[in-house]
Amino acid sequence: MSPFLNVLENQVQLICLAFMAVVYVLRLAWILHFRPVRERGLAQGDAGRGAGYALAGVALPGAMESIRRKPIFYAQFLLFHLGVVAAITATFIIPYAPGLFEKRLIVLAFQIVIGAACLAGILRLVRRLSDRRLRAVSRPDDYLSILMMILFFGAGVLAVPNHPRDGETALIAFFILTAFFLVYVPFSKICHYLYYPFIRFDLGRSLGHRGVWPPVRPGRECAPPAGRPS
Amino acid sequence: MRRTSESRSRQILDLPLDVRTQEKAKADKAPCVEEGRLATYRPDGRNVQRFLALLSKRMNRRLALSMTGCVHCGLCADSCHYALVFPDDPQMTPVAKADRIRKIFKRHMDWTGRIAPWWVGAKRPSDDADLNELKNVAFGLCSACRRCTFNCPMGVDTAGLIRFTRGLLTSLGIVPEGIFNVSRDQWDTGNQMGVSEADYLETLAWMRDEVRTELGTDAVDIPIDKDGCDFLYVINPREIKFDPRSIGQAVKIFHLAGESWTMPRWGWDNTNFGLFSGDDALGAFVADNVYEAAARLKAKRIVISECGHGFRSTRWEGYGWAGRDQDVPSESVVVSLERWLREGRLRVDPSRNALPVTFHDSCNIARSGGLTEEPRRVLQRVCSDFREMTPNRTENYCCTGGGGLLSMAEYRPIRLEAASIKARQLEATGAKLVCTMCHNCIDGLNDVIKHYNLDLKVVQVLELVDKALLV
Repeated sequence: MSPFLNVLENQVQLICLAFMAVVYVLRLAWILHFRPVRERGLAQGDAGRGAGYALAGVALPGAMESIRRKPIFYAQFLLFHLGVVAAITATFIIPYAPGLFEKRLIVLAFQIVIGAACLAGILRLVRRLSDRRLRAVSRPDDYLSILMMILFFGAGVLAVPNHPRDGETALIAFFILTAFFLVYVPFSKICHYLYYPFIRFDLGRSLGHRGVWPPVRPGRECAPPAGRPS
Repeated sequence: MRRTSESRSRQILDLPLDVRTQEKAKADKAPCVEEGRLATYRPDGRNVQRFLALLSKRMNRRLALSMTGCVHCGLCADSCHYALVFPDDPQMTPVAKADRIRKIFKRHMDWTGRIAPWWVGAKRPSDDADLNELKNVAFGLCSACRRCTFNCPMGVDTAGLIRFTRGLLTSLGIVPEGIFNVSRDQWDTGNQMGVSEADYLETLAWMRDEVRTELGTDAVDIPIDKDGCDFLYVINPREIKFDPRSIGQAVKIFHLAGESWTMPRWGWDNTNFGLFSGDDALGAFVADNVYEAAARLKAKRIVISECGHGFRSTRWEGYGWAGRDQDVPSESVVVSLERWLREGRLRVDPSRNALPVTFHDSCNIARSGGLTEEPRRVLQRVCSDFREMTPNRTENYCCTGGGGLLSMAEYRPIRLEAASIKARQLEATGAKLVCTMCHNCIDGLNDVIKHYNLDLKVVQVLELVDKALLV
């Protein structure tokens, strides 16, 4: 391994990771400095269950009409985000547990997941470019984020075999892109995953408190609202 | 030139600000205007600064999260009746509408937008013309039904952002005339239709006499300001002004159920235009009138007549606006009806409602109020042919008159165009009656039925229960 790749995989990543952590902390502090809102009416449901339902929404494709009607979109979402997890995991495995990628099956599994994510990313970019309603709300950040993710996945597919002796280009590209993301993500739309638990938790607590979430299934008795005379 | 649907939003965005009624209110020396509770438009070139100052001051965590959390995935477009009916118009999607306030937030408060505004599409309004355009989006192209909120994978509350925007604009007097007029009435008379106390009491007495005649007993009464009753009944002023039959039906049912109840002389309006105008101060004032009436009369609970936004405001939002924790329990009259039917205190014959009936869930009751099953249980008891519309419950489409749109005449044509999806949904049920527990929805649905020539009649739950009663 060349000294450049070595520094890139280790020191550069750690510095960028530390930078991202600092900015994330500042981001969260900024969001949390805003005045919280709470329900003041007597509870009709369970705020905790509502929050749980809201947070589980990502794994409940039947819960939202918008997703239910678009199973292919959901499949893309799933593949794309599994690819994100796999690619990020790979950025740690390569420098810190390279032995894992000596097993052909594991490498293949990572390549398939990241490759599928790359394909999903391309489809998402095509959708953003071809749908005029999406184009109307898309900003440079929207385009760059998805484009860079596609490149990141592409580099990831080539990098996970982790054979610097056969050529370092893919690994260098993969880790340069990783460093780029670590610095760029806190300022881009990609940091939505940082907000996701807060947004869903807040919305879910409110709707849970009101007895809206989890939804009552037809035919199932709903709990008597609080404060209702016996 | 052929009019494309893309140009449809443009026509709405270009509607001018009309301040004639604001001028009249000033000339009339309306107390709410004189005392500064209801703002009027000031063409002094400083509205953008005021807007930005209010934006910072009123921002809360829930709103900030909705401002920052959107990833522009566009899934909300398939949930909005405007976007569904105008698929070629990019400005009709919830995300495009929310982005109009989001870009101001980003430019004014978010780091990235302040450092590199062009990168994330951050932009401040330039002048009052921009604010007027924002007014037309926030008030004219959204019924705040919250369907997009429920269909956002991130949980972004676009309807919440729209209401927030409305509130900022209301504080600058940059509002549709209808919003200003109703707000004025509610501030100055305590009810949104400007009903005087004499008219209120006279209508109640009239309805009491009607029920006495019908039941053949003078034991029927509408107690006013009676202490220590089981419940305080609060109504929609529309019931006094346009359709008092629902009061008569309620009085009859309360009497037959053997309830101890009262109505307040002041604080009887369960509706709240603060929900629509985004004016939390008005919301607090109106909701507090009801809460104070309940406390003053030592009522054991508050029962809210059939009204969608009235239920949401009185049962849920009002406590937040008024900054008080709920102490007196409250419920919709439909919940009371369901209980009385279940307990056998009301005897009914469903064959008296033989026509096929479908139920329209009010947005404010289903999506923001958690009340979907009780009305169905009541209808299944009092109707012989109840059929669901699709979609229903929290997925139902808005009557398209929500969010105060019924009071804004300038947006009526586009509202009715966007209502075609509702018309198809109603038609598909094959029902002859569409039941709803919301006065706003009654008018909204009647507009749709008339505009699309549907063979349907709108009824309320009380009406169907009354018809099925075995006296």
